[in-house]
Amino acid sequence: MSVKTYTRFELAENQLTSAIGLFVSGRDRFSVMTLAGAADVLLSRLVMNQGRENFTQLLAKSETEKAGTPVAVAAHGRAINDLLFINQLKHMDDGDDAFIDLDPEECALAAISKALVNYVALAGDQKDIVLAFKGWAWRNLDPTKYSVHGPARTDTSGDEA
Amino acid sequence: MSRFHKHDVAKAQLQTAVSMFLEGRDRSSVVTLAGAASGILDALVRCSGKEAFLDYARRVRQELSGQTPKRSAYSHHINTLLGVIAHKHLWEEDSDTIELDLEEQAAGALSRAIADYISLNGQDEPFVKAFLSWSWRNQDGPGLMEKFKQAPKRLKPR
Repeated sequence: MSVKTYTRFELAENQLTSAIGLFVSGRDRFSVMTLAGAADVLLSRLVMNQGRENFTQLLAKSETEKAGTPVAVAAHGRAINDLLFINQLKHMDDGDDAFIDLDPEECALAAISKALVNYVALAGDQKDIVLAFKGWAWRNLDPTKYSVHGPARTDTSGDEA
Repeated sequence: MSRFHKHDVAKAQLQTAVSMFLEGRDRSSVVTLAGAASGILDALVRCSGKEAFLDYARRVRQELSGQTPKRSAYSHHINTLLGVIAHKHLWEEDSDTIELDLEEQAAGALSRAIADYISLNGQDEPFVKAFLSWSWRNQDGPGLMEKFKQAPKRLKPR
């Protein structure tokens, strides 16, 4: 027996770190989605506990402004999780369809991105996992599709453009 | 867009969990991945007409206490014991910290998922063998087998 005390943030950060590690090393996308999804649940609550709005709340607010009618946060959160198949990867009821149709690469990328928004709200954008994921995104994602920006560069050549 | 059977989804997550566990990597991630695999495998084992780990645990509980716990309540109880709930849920009233034995819980979460996986697929695949081998060496395999032999038939898995 080795009982230790963990902060909720540690549990979330460790899972998100694993998710990003698995993702950038090309390993199983379902595992990435499940880990990022679990981390995001904890991170979303921790952001709220600080009296701030988490990613889902910000998105629901934006949707409300666009639609002109109130968008319920809980329903919006469920819809996002359904879109990313978060629940489908960890649960199956009697009578459920045993097949799912999804794009694991897109869903894994989206699940990490969603969790990272909440992580950055709590820990800032200079932590190792944030920089590692941003670096991967800059090198691997199509900037015209994902609006990825490269890291800020310091010109050391002495030349002026 | 591609089509996947949930068995393959569960298997992929369980393989990742076993690999991370044996490599000494993050235990929280092992608990979550093994828990996710179990959430699918449980239904698939029952669909196959076999006894799922959860139903075996309920039967043992019934033998020991005379009461059969409700399936959903006992599932939640086991998921709490294994730390699965703490890694994927957080309510406003929860404390900022939690006490966990992640080493034990990761091994326990894997054991449950592997039990259901074996019910469906046997134990010949390398990742299953690897975990069983670890378990034999580190969880007193010979002692457990001796206890198992002496247990009455009604306390054994069907």
